[in-house]
Amino acid sequence: MNLSEPRFLWALLALPLLWWLAQPPRPRQHVFTPHLAQWQAAMRALHRRPPRGSWLRWLLLAVALTAAAFAAAGPSRPGTAGAERLVVLLDASASMGAAAAGEPAFARARRRLAQTLAQVPASVDVTVVRCGGELLRRHGAAARALQDLGEPSGALAVDLVAAARAIADARTAVWTLTDGQGQPRLPDVGALTVFDTKGPNAALVDARIEDAWPLPELRLEVDVVAYAEPRSDGRIAAELLVAGAVRPLAPTPVLLVPGQVTTVPLSLVRRPAGGELRVAVRLADDRLPDDDGRRWRLPALPAPRIAVLADEEAGPFVSAAGEALAVEVAGEVVAAHAGTEVGLLLADGGLVPLAPGTVRALTFGSRLDPAVELAPRALAGAVEWDRTLALTRGLDLSELRVERCWPATLPAGEPFLWVIDGGERVPLGVVVDGGEDRASVHFAFRLADANLGLLAAFPQLLRRAFVRCYGKAGAIAATSPGGGAVAAGETDLRTAARAPDRPLPPFAVAERPLGRWFVALGLLALALRACVR
Amino acid sequence: MARPSLPPLPDPFPRAFRELLPALLATRGRFDAGRVERLRARRAVLSQSGTFVGHRRYVRGDDLRRLDWAAYARTGELFTKQLQEDDRRAVTVALDLSASLCCGTPPRRTAAMRLAAVIAGLALARLDGVSIVAPGASNSLVRFAGVAQLPQLLEHLRGLPIASPPPEAAVASMLAGDAVGRVHWISDFARPAGFRRPLLGLRRRGARVTGWLPTVAEDEAPPAGGYLRVVDPETFEDLRIPVDAPFHRELVRQLTLLARQQDHLFAEAGSALLRWPAPRDDAPRLRDHLPIVAALAR
Repeated sequence: MNLSEPRFLWALLALPLLWWLAQPPRPRQHVFTPHLAQWQAAMRALHRRPPRGSWLRWLLLAVALTAAAFAAAGPSRPGTAGAERLVVLLDASASMGAAAAGEPAFARARRRLAQTLAQVPASVDVTVVRCGGELLRRHGAAARALQDLGEPSGALAVDLVAAARAIADARTAVWTLTDGQGQPRLPDVGALTVFDTKGPNAALVDARIEDAWPLPELRLEVDVVAYAEPRSDGRIAAELLVAGAVRPLAPTPVLLVPGQVTTVPLSLVRRPAGGELRVAVRLADDRLPDDDGRRWRLPALPAPRIAVLADEEAGPFVSAAGEALAVEVAGEVVAAHAGTEVGLLLADGGLVPLAPGTVRALTFGSRLDPAVELAPRALAGAVEWDRTLALTRGLDLSELRVERCWPATLPAGEPFLWVIDGGERVPLGVVVDGGEDRASVHFAFRLADANLGLLAAFPQLLRRAFVRCYGKAGAIAATSPGGGAVAAGETDLRTAARAPDRPLPPFAVAERPLGRWFVALGLLALALRACVR
Repeated sequence: MARPSLPPLPDPFPRAFRELLPALLATRGRFDAGRVERLRARRAVLSQSGTFVGHRRYVRGDDLRRLDWAAYARTGELFTKQLQEDDRRAVTVALDLSASLCCGTPPRRTAAMRLAAVIAGLALARLDGVSIVAPGASNSLVRFAGVAQLPQLLEHLRGLPIASPPPEAAVASMLAGDAVGRVHWISDFARPAGFRRPLLGLRRRGARVTGWLPTVAEDEAPPAGGYLRVVDPETFEDLRIPVDAPFHRELVRQLTLLARQQDHLFAEAGSALLRWPAPRDDAPRLRDHLPIVAALAR
């Protein structure tokens, strides 16, 4: 026991004074009597007791004084030498999610960490550094509680060897918990705990998706790789599973070369209701299931209510086009009345007062502004179209003949169809973009004034116009949604670095003050003294 | 706390007392010897003078002067002559030598010695002899005969030590001497229960016992106040007592109860207990001792 203020022990010199004060008063007069029994009987009759000193009371008082003196002297239990800080390098890379005996290595590491930190003296300053994926640092109570360390993901971008060497010193202990994956060698300083994750693994490295939104077609390309002992033919047998918001597809068997990425194309048809699309590669005894698959959330396909407006001179083309489009996109044709909510408006001729780009509409020779003067124009030149625009790319419109048109009815927009008349470029069709989720397509001629409805490209043009009107807001990105990339070096679980485990060094134990215990002892002695007579 | 020492005892027989004693013995009065005559018939006390009553075989230690040489000449064997004691009236004075008598102002023992001297002196002056029984002394039974032995008597009393044998020892000493007669037992009878059996035993043996209790001032007027250390002179057991008025009253009551117990004890034994207030100064006066003479005459 150490005393920080030993001079207070001089107070113990008051013990003899206390002893003297605790003595009962001494009678100054002695009386010899043969009748002592009568004196005692008189005392008993009056229920009196002779004044006397109590050794126990004095002893308790002495204990209280001694305890107070020691409490004032600042007693403490001496500490022990050792590390005062502990820095834990916790490997949380994707490979730590590999399971052995049914439990991921990361979960075992957390449990081991929690058990060990519970035994680390409270005076030790603990820091937990998550290495791998997002670099996180937890300190103090948050470190001891392993608060918010996340799940294993990403690559181990930290050189554990260098980090351990940089951190470790005489006062700081380093403890590395890792599976050895993605590291050429393991730290040679500090404590080390290696979790075995060795085993076969298959990973879905990347995926690219091409969405035909708002149409149900979906094209998927999946890059798959596997690390396992190959069959006799040098291949690894795996399966590609597709489930969720697409029409059922049987597991696709794939033969993979160990360590070589293989691309598997998949053609899928979305379900109109949408939902989650799950694609995963399945390999027998796969240790790391986290990198096996991808998921997408597919929105429900639009089921448009198609309204058709046609003036008296319009032919049957627009109505037939509406019916065919409704069948193809699982929509319906509704009557065009005021107040009726529609998803796509097909108009052929007439006056359609709407703001271009704000309504999904496909108009043929319709006048959008009543103020526009209708002046038909006969065209003699050949029709040209934009061959780079998605709307007309790949279509053959060279046979298109337009007898008359009303270019003045076209709103301002991006022309995709035009004719060169007398050196003048006269637009015949424009697209007005109203945002990511809507647009309108306008032609300067009525279907009855051209042979567009008779062309083979018309259905495709109609379909693309429908797609263009819905935009790409609801489409899935052409490439794989972010976050799914598998880190290099985290998939091949056969090549982890190995090293024997090393225990933690002894930690320093701080001096433990004992003053409060002496105060409690003194109070207890005084309380007992109050009860002793 | 240190063991206190007993207070010093004054000379029980100062010159004034010795000068007073002849005058006291010369007072007229009858001395009741009791039923000595009846006891004499049952007594066979060896004596230098008396009536020949028979022989007994000599045993080692017998007085050679009592050898009957004529019988030796006739029989060739040694016989001692057995003589019956002369008609002699005797008094036994039993004296308590315990330390408890050293208490009081003046000490009760001084009064007890003077009381014994007066009783024994009257017996020597008016009767034939007196036996001093002092259990605890080296010679617990000493006989005196004739008033000429009064100085020896006083010297014997002065030399008695302080001892604390039980009351049974006094009875044993009395019975060992055969000459019981009238017994005057001088003590403080501080523990009456211890005297019950001895008194009843003496009564069964036909002895008449008179208890003498020299009283001191503290018997009736204990300390009325102060913080006192009260010590038993025999055991030196002590008691620290703050004395106040209620305690004083209670202590007086307890002492009164003790006096009643003492009276009851002697009444039960068919004896009398006489209390003699001891003079409180060192100048003995005749009138202080006359009650003794008067009590002996009753």
